[in-house]
Amino acid sequence: MLFCLKRSLNEALKSCFSLSNRSREAVLEALASTVSRDPTAYPYQFQDDPYLSPRTSTEFKLFSLSQESGRSAAKYIVNNNPKLFTKDFAEPHIPCLMPETVSLRLEEVSEEALKERITLRKVTAAVDMYDQLLQAGTTVSMETTHSLLDLICLYSDRDPVQDGEPQTDDAEFGEELKKRKARVRRASDFLKFTWKENNNAERIFNLLPERDTRCYSALIRGMVKHGAYAKAFSMYTDMLNNRLTADVHIFNALISAAPDVRDKFNERWDLVAELLNQMNQQKVRPDLLTFNSVLKALRRCGFLAKTQALHTLNEMKALGIAPSLASYDHILAVFYKSASSAQNNTDLLQEVIAELEGRIFTCQDPDDVLFFSSAMRICLDSKDLELGYKIQSLVDVGENWRLLGDSFQQSIYYGRFFNLLCMMEHIDVVLKWYKQIIPSLYYPNPQGMRDLLQALDTDSRLDLLPSIWKDIKTLGHDNKPDLVEELLSLMAREKHSSEVQESFAACALDVKSVFDLRPSIEWSAASLSHITTLLLRANKTRQAWEMLQLFKSRNRVPSEGLLNNFLSVCHSDGDSQKAVQLVQLSAAFCLPTTWRLAKRALAEFELTEEQRAILSELETAGEPSD
Amino acid sequence: MAASLSSIGNVRVLSALAWSSSLCSFSGSRGLHVTVSCCKNRAARIRVGKGDKPVTYEQAHHPHHIGHRKGWLSQHTSNLKGEDGAAERTVEDVFIRRFMFGTFHGCLANEIVIKRRGNLLNVCAVMLQKLPPQKFYFLIGYTESLLSHFYKCPVKLEIQTLQDKIVYKYL
Repeated sequence: MLFCLKRSLNEALKSCFSLSNRSREAVLEALASTVSRDPTAYPYQFQDDPYLSPRTSTEFKLFSLSQESGRSAAKYIVNNNPKLFTKDFAEPHIPCLMPETVSLRLEEVSEEALKERITLRKVTAAVDMYDQLLQAGTTVSMETTHSLLDLICLYSDRDPVQDGEPQTDDAEFGEELKKRKARVRRASDFLKFTWKENNNAERIFNLLPERDTRCYSALIRGMVKHGAYAKAFSMYTDMLNNRLTADVHIFNALISAAPDVRDKFNERWDLVAELLNQMNQQKVRPDLLTFNSVLKALRRCGFLAKTQALHTLNEMKALGIAPSLASYDHILAVFYKSASSAQNNTDLLQEVIAELEGRIFTCQDPDDVLFFSSAMRICLDSKDLELGYKIQSLVDVGENWRLLGDSFQQSIYYGRFFNLLCMMEHIDVVLKWYKQIIPSLYYPNPQGMRDLLQALDTDSRLDLLPSIWKDIKTLGHDNKPDLVEELLSLMAREKHSSEVQESFAACALDVKSVFDLRPSIEWSAASLSHITTLLLRANKTRQAWEMLQLFKSRNRVPSEGLLNNFLSVCHSDGDSQKAVQLVQLSAAFCLPTTWRLAKRALAEFELTEEQRAILSELETAGEPSD
Repeated sequence: MAASLSSIGNVRVLSALAWSSSLCSFSGSRGLHVTVSCCKNRAARIRVGKGDKPVTYEQAHHPHHIGHRKGWLSQHTSNLKGEDGAAERTVEDVFIRRFMFGTFHGCLANEIVIKRRGNLLNVCAVMLQKLPPQKFYFLIGYTESLLSHFYKCPVKLEIQTLQDKIVYKYL
């Protein structure tokens, strides 16, 4: 227990009491800082029970999602029966444990009712209420109109998905998807809506007697969010014609939409530069997101990107805006195009990491979470282990682990890190990291396990293979025949000392029992041969014999070497009956080596007349005629 | 009871008179208290039968063994001197036990232990592995959330699973 104290308790408490205005949680924080992460614990969101803890990444997702859906089921019941949950025991009052108003209370046509619908995010109801108000002749205040426009543009005039109702696809949505060819299609694409022509947002906008910057802002940002890029730009020109100045959000949206409205690299950059100039003219101060959109747009500007990216960084420095992780991510993407081995120098990345060393980050841009996995990819491509360690130590600083993203991003990062370790590091260090990050932070996929096997092979630690097999079973990869075959071939390749051989044989029997449980898995001839060889080496002749019978039932042919091996074992056992059966088996498979086996058997074994007769027949039958 | 009528002891006299009058009106009578029959000698005991009824450790020991051979199923401080709310805690416990029994129907291996630590309500249960883990997690998320909203305090479930019920003896 003492070994896992990161700082000594005395130190921690001293630092806590030395602060003059300490927060109420100072002592707790000091105690918490002495304990480091426990790599053997189950993830905290799950129950502390082996049956209920996830063992693969699919199980992790499944269990967290089912727990979450249980919670939403409870929330549904609470919100739909508010009268049962109103008794308030809590002192002081806890607002988040009270039922929420989900249904509308105000039915009359008034601005209050409109505001209520906006807060409850009921888009269609809000639009109806607004229309009713206009028909009744009441004027709606500017502020409420702004929030209404914001609401409609955010959800693109559709109600946000409630309780899992499936949204119907429209034809234009399918077309939009085809246009986004460069991006990998993910599930989140299907949840995005497209901007319909003449939808309610535009209609209400056109009906407004006076439109100010915020109205334009809502429309433009909504259009960019939902893919109507050209319209966004025309709306912007409209706004300029009406002699209004834009705000920083409009510029951010337009800059990020620039690569989608121009096709050539230099045209794209010219458009971005022009927007920045106009921003300057209108005296709008750029912020971090502006520069991040510029860098993101530069990723799609080809050859111009490298010089302009560095210029952009200088601009940021001149304005005193500190770059966030997303900025660095875009710069790395610009300078390290994927998988081109010409970029073997990692100087830029080293500079970036040196700059970021020891800093604590907060998330300022949604793209911040992509930094660590891209950085690790670069280290992996250029096989730079030192840099990989530096990145990992950066993740360990404070709460930076939060910036590793969701579980998918996290698994990519750790997968690449583990890959790098297996390639470059000594096996002891690899195993130390293995114990630390698997399975508490990362569930390796079959490729990851293969890397580990490779590393074990390189450093000749094949005696650890049975324990790796146990881990493969726990991770649920025992149904992947390629991985299992590789494991078996590594075990069967050479002879080892007798205890190791014993453990290998036990492992082979385990593999066999696992395969027996799954009738749908196709055995390969190689796997069967390896298992038989391992059993023979550990003198488990009876089980090896059963394996040979399996060959027939699974329609696989044993190899010559295997049968020769078997014959030698039979010879050392002195079992002539088995030898004869072996030769007969070989004949049943119509193997070309039958006659050689028969010859060997006749020569080496003491046989009865009957056996001799059988064998001579087989020998002559198969012997090639000269 | 001799009552002195001096002016100094007026208050005491009056109170003494009041007391004696109340005593006098009921002198010679005894109160009769009636309750529903409690059957304290039959509570929580499984009677010895033919020998085919499996019984857990909890069920096999009678209530007078609590504190000696059994622990408490419900742990809170309202039974200590000067603390109040014992009745409310008991009613809450009864509701929670029924709720858990119904929600995790057929999965409970033993009685539920309810612990209260500060604001937190900790429900500890031993379950049988009758449902796949994702269904367990659905029910766990649902129970925690619903009970938290109901009792306005954080409710945490601690579940352990077993293959079958542990039988202590057969009665």
